[in-house]
Amino acid sequence: MSLDSSAQATDAPLSDAAAALEYGIPPKQRFNPFHWMRREPLGALGLALIIIVSVGAAFAPFLNTFPDPREQGLGPPLEGPSADHWFGTDRFGKDVWTRVLHGGRISLKIGVATVLIGTVAGTLVALLTAFTGGAVDFVVGRLVDVIIAIPSILLALVLYTSVGQDLPDLPVLPRQEFVLVIAIASFFMPGTYRIMRGMVLELREQQYVEAARVVGAANFRIMWRHIAPNMAGLMIVITSISLPAAILAEASLSFLGVGVEAGTPSWGADLSGTTRTYFIAGPWLAIFPGLALAITVFGFNVFGDSLRDTLDPRLRGRI
Amino acid sequence: MTGYIVRRLIAVPLMMLAISFILFMLLFVRPGSAAFAASGFVGDNDPKAVERFEERYGLNRPWYAQYGDWLWNAVQGDLGVRLTPPQDPVTDKIWERLPNTVEVGLLTVVLSAIFGITIGVLSAVRRNSILDYVLRTVAIAGISVPNFWLAILVLTLPAIWWQWTPFASVWVSFTDNPLDNLAIVIWPAMTLALASAAGTARLVRTSMLEVFYSDYVRTARAKGLQERRVIWSHVFRNSLIPVITLIGLQFGAVLGGVVIAEVIFGIPGLGSLTLAGVLAQDYPLVLGTICIFALLFVLVTLAVDLLYTVVDPRIQY
Repeated sequence: MSLDSSAQATDAPLSDAAAALEYGIPPKQRFNPFHWMRREPLGALGLALIIIVSVGAAFAPFLNTFPDPREQGLGPPLEGPSADHWFGTDRFGKDVWTRVLHGGRISLKIGVATVLIGTVAGTLVALLTAFTGGAVDFVVGRLVDVIIAIPSILLALVLYTSVGQDLPDLPVLPRQEFVLVIAIASFFMPGTYRIMRGMVLELREQQYVEAARVVGAANFRIMWRHIAPNMAGLMIVITSISLPAAILAEASLSFLGVGVEAGTPSWGADLSGTTRTYFIAGPWLAIFPGLALAITVFGFNVFGDSLRDTLDPRLRGRI
Repeated sequence: MTGYIVRRLIAVPLMMLAISFILFMLLFVRPGSAAFAASGFVGDNDPKAVERFEERYGLNRPWYAQYGDWLWNAVQGDLGVRLTPPQDPVTDKIWERLPNTVEVGLLTVVLSAIFGITIGVLSAVRRNSILDYVLRTVAIAGISVPNFWLAILVLTLPAIWWQWTPFASVWVSFTDNPLDNLAIVIWPAMTLALASAAGTARLVRTSMLEVFYSDYVRTARAKGLQERRVIWSHVFRNSLIPVITLIGLQFGAVLGGVVIAEVIFGIPGLGSLTLAGVLAQDYPLVLGTICIFALLFVLVTLAVDLLYTVVDPRIQY
């Protein structure tokens, strides 16, 4: 009798508290943003900075004091910060505040586009090749070795001189920005690929994959339903950690004069070329675009770090 | 071990073969070499001139013949001639510029390792103290400040505040006057080193903290070793492996950053040569310089891998 009743007891679903006692499963915690803020103060600061920069970029047409960042002669040339021109004017009388706001749009647009393309492509290639293995895996692996051996900025320079000359203008993306996206994405791809390949090799040997194989699931189904969802967390972390690097890359390339089209408001481009000869006469020209860039990158860096620690502390030191 | 070294040494030329092939295909064999030929060197769309140009540079031949020729010459140390006016051999130009870039690169890596390791060790030994928090915040800020902006500030701010610039505007080579040369090169190296030192410091800190709580460190303390001895010969040595990997990887980033630093500080190095080639669409020059950059990177990676065995005798290949 007693045996029978105990069997019934195990059949009934356990309450969460009982499960916690029985199997040592910690009770589910609801995510509390205030607790997270207290545990990760730097991450919260990063998030706040990201929100400020994103709002600035998204609402640039409403926040700017002059409608067109390219328009010249809006005020006296090389005038310091004032009530009319919050961040001063450059030597053509363009308004620096307006340009910094619109520069954020380019930075975020190129940054997000490149990182998304780079990580998605890297993940897909890793998934397909590592899962199939064999010659394809070997060839792609060596190709990635080759791409990684060319320092990122130099790879971008090569792509700018070669592929860049043949690309068309797209409606949303002028040719120069299209080149930038391809160049920057192509150096996030190999890194993502390497990390993700390791992950796929690990996941491929899991018991649930074996179980899926036993019940006759096709390769594609295993990849899509059993392996890919487990890579999502890592992908989010990689994306958030690559984003500041992508934003810096855009600024660096624009600074070198191989980035956005001349005249486009971009933090990197606004610090480069002949403008540099005016920095001593007008230090605000050097300070504001650079500060905007540094704050953005700082925000994404600390937020990415704490996101990694929150989502998967094991990755610390690996990414 | 010997087998491993031999295998790695054989891999170097194979890597370079693959890299040069991909770069050559990207730069030379694009749809219509006429675009290449007509890119400002031949004059306006004069078909005769384009033809002569293609004839002269052998661009009308099939790609394998072009690449084969280039490779055969490159192996013998001839990387072709520049397209831009002096039309001098690319190899000569690279030899002239390479020492400056290597100097900046080495100095950067050395400075970054010194700063990074010092800060990281301090941070780890005095963990969770005020010093630790300050150093960690500085490290994150250091990663976030764009190196070209930092370089601009280094050049601009002293000039505004004290009408003085730390940077001599005339280039002096190391062989002419080593001290004057170092006084110039130290600035780009410092600005480049900041970001990588910050990365190193963070890694040294985490990897030392991991070791701090291991059993053999407790044993070392228990047997009465001095704290200094525990930190340097037990904790520090065991936390070096990930750090060496990182420093090796950073070398790649430094090589990329060198382009920017050379442009800002006006140093006649390989990076500014590459950029000049890119802006002038001087394909042989770009191909040559980037191949040399890649070769440097491959050799450094090899050296780092071999260095592991010295630092950690447990690693055997």
